[in-house]
Amino acid sequence: MTGTIIITGGASGIGQATAELARDKGLGVAVIDLPGPALERARAAGFDTHAGDITDETAMNAIIDRIAAGGAISGLVNSAGTGADLAMLDTPPGRFSQILNVNVLGSFIVSAACVRHMRQGGGSIVNISSVSGIRGNEGRVAYGASKGAVIAMSKVMAVELAGFGIRVNVVAPGPVETPLVAAVHTPEVRKAWAEAVPMRRYGATAEIAAPILFLLDEAQSSYVTGQVLSVDGGFVAAGIMSGTSKAGNRNA
Amino acid sequence: MHEGERAVKRVEGKIALIFGAGSIGEGWGNGKAAAVAYAREGAKVACIDIDPVAAEATAAVIRAEGGEALAAGADVTDSAQIAGVVQQVLGAWGRIDILHNNVGINLPGGAAEASEESWRRVIDVNLTSVFLTCKAVLPVMEAQGAGAIVNISSLAAIRWTGYPYASYYASKAAVNQFTQALAVEYAARGVRANVIMPGLMDTPHVQKAIAGYHGDATEMAAKRAAMVPMKRQGDGWDVAWAAVFLASDQARFITGVCLPVDGGHSITLAGG
Repeated sequence: MTGTIIITGGASGIGQATAELARDKGLGVAVIDLPGPALERARAAGFDTHAGDITDETAMNAIIDRIAAGGAISGLVNSAGTGADLAMLDTPPGRFSQILNVNVLGSFIVSAACVRHMRQGGGSIVNISSVSGIRGNEGRVAYGASKGAVIAMSKVMAVELAGFGIRVNVVAPGPVETPLVAAVHTPEVRKAWAEAVPMRRYGATAEIAAPILFLLDEAQSSYVTGQVLSVDGGFVAAGIMSGTSKAGNRNA
Repeated sequence: MHEGERAVKRVEGKIALIFGAGSIGEGWGNGKAAAVAYAREGAKVACIDIDPVAAEATAAVIRAEGGEALAAGADVTDSAQIAGVVQQVLGAWGRIDILHNNVGINLPGGAAEASEESWRRVIDVNLTSVFLTCKAVLPVMEAQGAGAIVNISSLAAIRWTGYPYASYYASKAAVNQFTQALAVEYAARGVRANVIMPGLMDTPHVQKAIAGYHGDATEMAAKRAAMVPMKRQGDGWDVAWAAVFLASDQARFITGVCLPVDGGHSITLAGG
């Protein structure tokens, strides 16, 4: 893999860990994230950074074109995302729509911009879903819908883009120590998750980054496309999560 | 990236035990490729096969590349022979970090056509073997507080793949769920267990097994490749590198996963 890896949400959480691991392996990395202190820190750490909102198609096309002008794009990690822990009846349609816009439409916009360049030389796209896109987790009506949509979108992309030598896969993390999780998971939620995950712990961002790099790497995963890889300490294998949300009944 | 990855070997110093490490013909079967891939990534590899000559051939490839390997013949449906192999590996290297189950057969026949004998044979070789090797190795891994199991199933575990072999579908589906349940049971004890589901493969085993369903080999390969979104069949190395990944610390938060390595085939097929 010689080209640039573009990582949205690359200034924090799973995206940041992926950017760091990719750079450690000698890969060219371009980080896209919202403007702010996290992106400034990434810039200070020496990353090629680009400030923008992934739901802004015009801005994303311009950023991707600029990155492509500097060299071939061989990988994309759609890690930018947003979420909420809200019961269905407490979820305002506007919030639902915003979560879908960022997680689904944003990933689509950036993917389309990258594919227009990647289809010349092939590449690998990794979309970040969640175990909440696979199982019915309480409080995740919008987030779960968005992450389920990411999975379906990725399968269609995989089939449509296979002819261009572009692979598309999904990583579905379980609970991971990220800023988003720190904001959403109460101590009670954390305890319940730890009990529901067979490994009895949260994942570290580096533990999600390594499988993402596996899926990006043609030398390791060249025949893997359209797949959903759960990186979740066994959560999906075990079954459903219950009693973890402040929104629902507690069983845990 | 490949070179950078190689600089840090992914399973350096680990002991890998591969059942079905021989290839039944010229070329690279899944088990043979996996054995060599583990060795290239730094593992010492025990190559086990029903055919001791095939096991030794794989071990010889590893040694010729500068790796360390031992070879033995064993029938995976025989718990005594499996126990003997486990003792041999522990005697040689003192631990078992990776258990890789690659043994599988398919015998033709839908539910009405397959003989009872063929059904029992396939279940024995494809499923009971996995139970027996895990049963023998799990206490070792639990005592170590660490271990990784990679079981090779098939896309046939979750999809109709176009061939009538009732026992094969059933046995491979059972391997998936056996592995997932085992993964959950052992997750907190440091042992991970995952499955690889190869799709349409161009390996010596497949060439032999399904030759009867098609005309000539070239026609068969072309027809099979055309069904896959990537327009090619997979090979032993595709499965091997996925196995190295799942067995390595790269996958330390991954357990109970059934990963298709299928060029996208499963997402275009009905079912599941």
